[in-house]
Amino acid sequence: MKTLEIVPLTRVEGDGGITVTLDGNKVESVTLDIHEGPRLIEQLVRGMKPDDDLNVVPRICAICTLSHKYAAIRGLEKALGIVPPEKAQLMRDLMMLGENVESNSLHTYLLALPDFLGYPSAIAMLGDYGDDVKRALKLKKFGNYVMEVTSGRIVHGENPGLGGFGRYPSRQRLNELSTRATELVPDAVRAVELFSSFDYPKYPEVETTFMSVNAPDGKFGLAGDSILVSKGEEVDAEDYRRLTSERVVPHSFAKRATYDGKTYTVGANARLINMGDRLDGQAADLFKDNYSDRWLKNPLLNNLAQAIEMVWALEHIPEATEMIAALDDPARAEATRKSGSGTGAVEAPRGILYHHYEIKDGLIEVADIITPTAQNLDDIEMHMRTCGERMLADGKSDAELLPALEMIARAYDPCISCATHLVRLKRI
Amino acid sequence: MHKLCDAPSKAEEDLKAELVELVGDCKTYVLGMGNEDRGDDGAGIAVARKLKESFPRHSYSEHDGLEGIVLDISEKDEDAFVIFVDAADLREEPGTIRLVDAKEIRATEVTTHRVTVGLLMELLAKSGKRSTVVCIQPGSVEFGSEMTAPVNGAVETLVCLLSDIVERTTS
Repeated sequence: MKTLEIVPLTRVEGDGGITVTLDGNKVESVTLDIHEGPRLIEQLVRGMKPDDDLNVVPRICAICTLSHKYAAIRGLEKALGIVPPEKAQLMRDLMMLGENVESNSLHTYLLALPDFLGYPSAIAMLGDYGDDVKRALKLKKFGNYVMEVTSGRIVHGENPGLGGFGRYPSRQRLNELSTRATELVPDAVRAVELFSSFDYPKYPEVETTFMSVNAPDGKFGLAGDSILVSKGEEVDAEDYRRLTSERVVPHSFAKRATYDGKTYTVGANARLINMGDRLDGQAADLFKDNYSDRWLKNPLLNNLAQAIEMVWALEHIPEATEMIAALDDPARAEATRKSGSGTGAVEAPRGILYHHYEIKDGLIEVADIITPTAQNLDDIEMHMRTCGERMLADGKSDAELLPALEMIARAYDPCISCATHLVRLKRI
Repeated sequence: MHKLCDAPSKAEEDLKAELVELVGDCKTYVLGMGNEDRGDDGAGIAVARKLKESFPRHSYSEHDGLEGIVLDISEKDEDAFVIFVDAADLREEPGTIRLVDAKEIRATEVTTHRVTVGLLMELLAKSGKRSTVVCIQPGSVEFGSEMTAPVNGAVETLVCLLSDIVERTTS
């Protein structure tokens, strides 16, 4: 028996590794091991007031802090019968667009691109691709700025709350966001050009199921009350437990999820597969030009999906800012009941994030949080196993196998901090 | 002025002398990194925040979006020196402060969804700017813990020391 290890997995968020156990040319097992310790946030918030919960749950992650806040807001508002005013809803859409640009720019240009260009890191790329590294930083800076304008701070902003926002940005600030977003579209298109020019290896290809939210009004979007399953099903977000069937595994602090006993994918590729026909503008053209059946099988194409989605987000920021500027600042909507339950489903950059709450007499009794990376872990292992078996059958060496598997894990843009570093190869 | 500034230890004097030599006449920027939710891991941010009270345009923390700040500094038409401050496991006593070589950072840094310090330092270097990393040995980085006394002391020491350096190069 032989064991190959990648510990820690680099260019992902959190502490994890990959262990591959081989018996001759047969892959005995592939495990994505999560070493990041559990933080028990769901237990911590029991007995808290909903407003206090909003200060705690975004601490799960400093990357998708606003996704956590928004998912919690949606779940808590449903539970308490709060209907947010239109302007608040538009501001939430805008903050999610900012987070999407911030996260997708970093992952595509700085974390994934070195794999495809054959560099060990973005640092090594600086000499030949210095302009692209700067593009990434410009895009990330702008995404952070949108997050700051909408939420009050770049990380853990406190401006969004139940029923609305503490304050709304000035027309001047909104106009600035609109202008800067439009100026940055070519930098996002460059990411699409790069990721559409690569020869994607076929080794990991195997069909899977894709889940995303169903954004309202037939539009592409980052939140919704129902979930689209790529095989044609639509399920109410309140039925999230059926969709995610969580379980624990010995090698990981993170829970795992399957649907109907099978693995599935969430993320930018799932969003585009399920809602790509709703895209508009240049993003729609880029999607049509680049989409193929391989998207249904090859997880590496998630990087291309993220780049296209970044174009969409930047193209929609002007529209969102214009609509926000046209409305008067509303008062926060109030709770209409003190007890109830509700599930918030939003599209964090890495995929669907669920926050479910049960509230009794104004205090949280149950909190259940299911993160996108937890949902993707089984699917990552499935694609890594397929890839490993095919590469070994094709006479590839262990040295070739390890980076290929690491690329697959990284393509999912995993956030291990959220899910609770990466490859070990073991031969028997 | 803080007592530590009035009576610096030999180690503090040595550290200051080392930094003064590195910085030269360059405009100095202090960028604090870390996670305040994890006790001593927030030491870099604490240093930057305190310095910001006196030098708002020369001290920034992770909460200001460091990648954007570094991009802006890299494009400035001036001789600039960036001092990154972060908690790091130096295998020393908690509160120990040490300058860490850029090569050492690159060799050991596990990259995450943040842009790495190594990449930011390299970007600065390509733009003709220089930088270094000042590390503080943490005592506890447990989620939800408070900053420990030795690390609090190190933060105070660094604020005094870096105040002098930033003031000298910006006035």
